[in-house]
Amino acid sequence: MARKTDAPPVNITINGIDLQVPKGELIVESVKRLGLEIPIFCYHPRMKPVGMCRMCLVEVGMKQPDGSVRKMPKPQAACTLPASEGLVIFTDTEQIHKDRKGVLEFLLINHPLDCPICDRGGECPLQNNTLFYGPSTSRFVEMKRHAVKAYPLSKHVTLDLERCIQCGRCVRFTEEISGDAQLAFRHRGAEMQPVTFELEEFTSKFSGNTIEICPVGALTSSHYRFRARPWDLETAPGICTMCSNGCNVWFDRRKGKLVRINGRTNEAVNEEWTCDKGKFGTDWMNNPRRASDVKVRRGDGFSRADWAEAYAEILERFREGGHEVAGLAGPMLSNEDLYLLRRMFDETFGSSNLDHRMTSVQGPAVEPPSFTIEGLEDEKGAFVFGASLSDESPIVYLRLRKAWYRQGARICVATSRPDDADAFAAVSVRYPQGGEAEFLRSLVAELRVQLEGGRSFGELADLASTLLETRGPILATESLWNLDQAGEVLAQLRLAAELLGVSLNVMALGANGQGAEELGVRPDAFDRTGLGTRQILEACADGRIRALWLAGVDPFEAFPDRSLVQRALENVEYLVVQTALETEAAAYASVVLPITAPGESDGSFTNVERRVQAFEKAVDPPAEAKPAWRVFSELMVRAEPRTPHFSAREILAEIAREVPAFQGVEWSAARDGGVLLGARRPLSRARS
Amino acid sequence: MAIDVIRDVAKPILAGFGITGRRLKHPKVTVQYPEQTREQYPRTRWRHFLTRYESGLERCIGCSLCAGACPARCIYVEAAENTDQERYSPGERYAKRYEINMIRCIFCGYCQEACPTGAIVLRKNFELADYKRESFVYTKEMLLEEYPGQADEPYVSIYQRQS
Amino acid sequence: MSQSPDTPNLRFSAKAVAELESLKTHYPNLKACILPALWIAQREYGGHLPPEAIAEVAHRLKRSPAEVQGVATFYSMYNTGHKPGRHMIEVCTCLTCSVCGAWDVAAYLEQKLGIKMGETTPDGMFTLHGVECLNACDRAPLIQVGDEYHGPMDEQKIDALLERLRNEPESKVVALADALVQVHLKEEEREKARRAAEAVRN
Repeated sequence: MARKTDAPPVNITINGIDLQVPKGELIVESVKRLGLEIPIFCYHPRMKPVGMCRMCLVEVGMKQPDGSVRKMPKPQAACTLPASEGLVIFTDTEQIHKDRKGVLEFLLINHPLDCPICDRGGECPLQNNTLFYGPSTSRFVEMKRHAVKAYPLSKHVTLDLERCIQCGRCVRFTEEISGDAQLAFRHRGAEMQPVTFELEEFTSKFSGNTIEICPVGALTSSHYRFRARPWDLETAPGICTMCSNGCNVWFDRRKGKLVRINGRTNEAVNEEWTCDKGKFGTDWMNNPRRASDVKVRRGDGFSRADWAEAYAEILERFREGGHEVAGLAGPMLSNEDLYLLRRMFDETFGSSNLDHRMTSVQGPAVEPPSFTIEGLEDEKGAFVFGASLSDESPIVYLRLRKAWYRQGARICVATSRPDDADAFAAVSVRYPQGGEAEFLRSLVAELRVQLEGGRSFGELADLASTLLETRGPILATESLWNLDQAGEVLAQLRLAAELLGVSLNVMALGANGQGAEELGVRPDAFDRTGLGTRQILEACADGRIRALWLAGVDPFEAFPDRSLVQRALENVEYLVVQTALETEAAAYASVVLPITAPGESDGSFTNVERRVQAFEKAVDPPAEAKPAWRVFSELMVRAEPRTPHFSAREILAEIAREVPAFQGVEWSAARDGGVLLGARRPLSRARS
Repeated sequence: MAIDVIRDVAKPILAGFGITGRRLKHPKVTVQYPEQTREQYPRTRWRHFLTRYESGLERCIGCSLCAGACPARCIYVEAAENTDQERYSPGERYAKRYEINMIRCIFCGYCQEACPTGAIVLRKNFELADYKRESFVYTKEMLLEEYPGQADEPYVSIYQRQS
Repeated sequence: MSQSPDTPNLRFSAKAVAELESLKTHYPNLKACILPALWIAQREYGGHLPPEAIAEVAHRLKRSPAEVQGVATFYSMYNTGHKPGRHMIEVCTCLTCSVCGAWDVAAYLEQKLGIKMGETTPDGMFTLHGVECLNACDRAPLIQVGDEYHGPMDEQKIDALLERLRNEPESKVVALADALVQVHLKEEEREKARRAAEAVRN
């Protein structure tokens, strides 16, 4: 990508226009500076050029001392041609037009031209380039090559070999970007196939991206197959909420229903990639089991109710409930939802029993992450502890891999199980499950030894010396709170960070887990004292808490201790379940309130690097579903007269005024690229 | 006075009857609709039909190009995949739902123009009136009816048409 | 690289492992070592490169199996298709040989062995292939068996050759693979591999 470069500028001429570009810049990129376009298939700005498709041919000449231009006899591929002093490029000559026509005619010889039934038809680079630069007819009258159609490479990706123009983008993606190298060209020649080894399942965690970068319809999505044509779609920008990375995506909807998710470019976050979980994991939004009505328990069953009835009942139980009421918040609630939830508990219910953490232990607050996803690219190294980044934080994983691939960053990995990151890690160390604290203690000891000039032997010593050489940030995830000795592990990690002089980043896992931390959706925030998740559930189980509010969370799925959840939900007197799906917990509910899914209402999310990203409603919610913040606002108004909140923007503006960390966050900036939260704020008085 | 009456009243009347009288010899142009119908021009475009191949398979492949071309946005197509057990059209894809809103349609014929398989055709059936708005949404089953004279009409692909 | 926890079934002999270790030092990275490693595999797997052999090479070179398969399927001298017979008879079908009667030779071989080009005899003795120019037009029509050239051929010579090959105990396909491995190795490396093989035997 066009990152800042310190290469000296050189003078080149494109179509008679003189310009300065950094030396070595590829001509295909230089041409974009003039707003011109060169047709391409195989070239992708984020991958190394290969010059396979020959579509980007340009005429090249060199300036002679007398001022004339001597052209090279043959055209050159602009994607592999670096800029050098005095280069003269022609992209618009008779000869080039003829060459492009020839290349396209060749590419189309074996292309089946089944555009009417191809999912790519209408947004296909091959179609576009043929229309703009290609011949209107073909001289090829012989039989076309026939190959397998609609072969399922995996449950996400369908391969149509006939349509493949053999540009190698997918192969290079798995080799250069995702790093699993699962696709390769087999039987190179006329029968070339970009497939997996022995046609095994394409299990890459980033396989969906190959669908997007395929310049024809050879790799298509199995989920989107035949569901819409591009001109049927309405597209809106969105944020993925399947994990805490906050990838920028496009929501494509047809008739108000989400049919597809594509990556949206944000250089600071996901570049243009998405992981398969985000791209294909949203089918639940169209689930027939979506909660769409307000339901109130009457005897053994539920009966439909209206919002006013439900509100009255809830207020009766919760108002001024103090320590007898509690709430648990889910990871997919937006900043606005969480902020009003906390205010409702503080002001209307007078309770601090509010938590969003679903780990088995709730410890004291940790300092917020201070790394940036983009910044990882320039690190000399990083230390990944106890996390499977490719599953838990896929975009951070891609950036770390890019740092290794491009700059040779030395990544250290310490996990209890083999991990995808081992493939590129400089040092990867295994410790036994349950031995985290001991492992870290010996690592800290080794660091101390090495800082004093000594060194022992073994992989631990290698790890310590690499850490001392690279001094990259320590990356762990909040799943470490599920460990038995979580407190000790954290203390040792802090010690290691101090010794190394680097930052310790405990990454949130839920889409807005970091936002919940920043907004104080935890019992000890803002000098309050209340119960954490485990204590809340225990208190519910033995009757100390009479009313529980589950806001967008199903503790059966989220909380590790299932039996405790069951006892809690069975014994609590009154249970409000605010949910998008008819979850297991909803069966225990006294009131079920349908909420909108992310994307069905405006909202902003805070991702793992503390970037607030806002997006607007893209999909129609089911009948009665309301955004969670609206419910909280309406309840607060009913409890005591006050100005209601009308929109998510307004609430974000209020957050920016009220919460120090969010100072200066504006909706428009949060929507266009996102805003990094500023200074660290004191989270709680009692930091142990 | 009498001359004035003859000139201003009687003469025009007689002249008028004269025209009527001369017209009596001309052939009659009105038709007794609905008992009689006038022959339509060869390129008249009215009701849509979805055609089939001789094998009985549907020509429509559910590609939505008609919907894309439609200036009135009155066509809705939902595609699905053929299986060997349930085969509707020759290729991979067929139209699971195909609906045209006849109230919106302006009978421009762009859908017929856009169709890559010649599945949708506009024929001369113009008696489309009905009582309910809902009944103007023509479903795939309605559109797949055979139109009068379809059996005798050879299919000409758009690529074979004489220009 | 794919993280398949199950390592493939490893069948390389001690000698092959020693040879591969030496070969790895010849190249700046392991990717460059794929071609000679495939020759070792072809020898170890009896003149054939089944998917298991490719998986083993990929595992030993820490490359993805897909990539190694991509390389192996490109070169016609790696037998990635069906298992070839003990001897591979390759008939040159390029210009000079064609003019001098290569197709007659091919037809006679097909009739004599009872198989078509590209097939293997049921007893697993011979595989017949047509190949492009072997660069020995002075001996047209030419036949290649392993690393031997035979030509100009006629029916008597073919009969004699087949008779001789039938009694040859060692597979010419494996011998060719071995010859190509040895070409890559220095004398001391060959010695090392021999010692490794002996150490196992004892």
